[in-house]
Amino acid sequence: MRPLETFAERLGAKIVFNPEFTAEKSQRFYLLNPRLKKLQSNFYYAGLYLGKVKNGVFFPSFNLLNMLLPVAANKVVIDPKAAWLFICGRDVFGSGIVKVMGSKRKGDSSLVLNEYGECLGFGWITSDLGSAERVAVKNVLDVGDFLRRET
Amino acid sequence: MSQKQFFIDRYSKLGWAFKETKLKQSIRINQIDAKGKKLPERLRGLGVELEKIPFLAAGYRVNKSKVSVGATAEYLLGMYSIQEAAAQIPASLFTALGGKMVLDACAAPGGKTLQLSDLMGNSGVITALDINKQRLNALANHLERCHISNSIVYNIDARQAGMLNRKFDRILLDVPCSGNFAGDDQWFYRRTLDDVERNAEVQKAILKETASCLSDNGEIVYSTCSLEPEEDELNMDWAIKNLGLQIQKIDCIGSSGLTEVSGRKLDATVALCRRLWPDVTQGFFVCKLKREPKQ
Repeated sequence: MRPLETFAERLGAKIVFNPEFTAEKSQRFYLLNPRLKKLQSNFYYAGLYLGKVKNGVFFPSFNLLNMLLPVAANKVVIDPKAAWLFICGRDVFGSGIVKVMGSKRKGDSSLVLNEYGECLGFGWITSDLGSAERVAVKNVLDVGDFLRRET
Repeated sequence: MSQKQFFIDRYSKLGWAFKETKLKQSIRINQIDAKGKKLPERLRGLGVELEKIPFLAAGYRVNKSKVSVGATAEYLLGMYSIQEAAAQIPASLFTALGGKMVLDACAAPGGKTLQLSDLMGNSGVITALDINKQRLNALANHLERCHISNSIVYNIDARQAGMLNRKFDRILLDVPCSGNFAGDDQWFYRRTLDDVERNAEVQKAILKETASCLSDNGEIVYSTCSLEPEEDELNMDWAIKNLGLQIQKIDCIGSSGLTEVSGRKLDATVALCRRLWPDVTQGFFVCKLKREPKQ
């Protein structure tokens, strides 16, 4: 579960998975409850999907981002217009940011939340979060991905 | 006689006068993900006009919408699913789902798997099967979108469910079927009785295999969106006569199951099934079966 823990650290979170209740299949990671753990054998998908490694890069699932939400230090709350653009795959401009928690340092990762505090995805902090005109958070993953996967 | 007229005459003989049906989109609110979110109000704020469907616990009709209901943040965050009204009925007919071992034998693309998980409060275990690997991708996406944690999915034909060596307390058989004309303009021109009979054989094979995986006192809910009795009442008549199952009374909209088809008399308990001719929902058939323990 090292890729997951490393990813969490980039968001300023510490998370440890008990290997007893996790499974890896085709470089995809799953969190299993005790009853699922007993049943697992040659499954296609099981329990809570946590993410995958592809070409050496870890891609978190939205389940993992939600698990990290209460413990991640780095979070950016954005306004409704910026939220809509973000789930359409666009980056976040400084003008759309309502609140910043945790790191403001360029290159760090941050969860992106809507006005209700719901996690829409995550991105990289690309520049000074105080500047309204510039891209502040580069979109890496957003929930609109569910729609893009279907096409 | 045209193919369309053939089926219209057939429905007439079964007691239903054909009428064209225009369906409205329906959604089902996911009770776990939408808890405390005031979802109908939030959607209203986006220009989505909802109307509660009286015979469903969490179903709403979309009367009007300024946005695509399949692309809102609320949808993408798993707060609701798009699910036709009649399709929301089968999972709701099981008793006491919490903590149970459940089989969803023909699961993809997963609308009913999500509903089962919601009704189970993400407890117990759902074993979800589907023969089509591509459709399993859609199922996996929905499970992730709705944060489902109690499911295990296999790329297995339901006719081989026994290979898992498991007994199930509840089995959902939303079997592959011929469908119906509601919402499909081309249905009459694509379907023949040969298709119907072929599907009925596959459905019987699924019933036989999965019934062997049912625990004593276990329940099966069988459903199709076919209006053809070969896939509905005739299969239920066959199941009670050959698989040691009994049909249960259900609280559900629709008319009684047919007990006479083309002059052939069926078991009287087949009347306990429910047949939904296309009207406020698409065409649908549903039946609950139980295996009583041997004395």
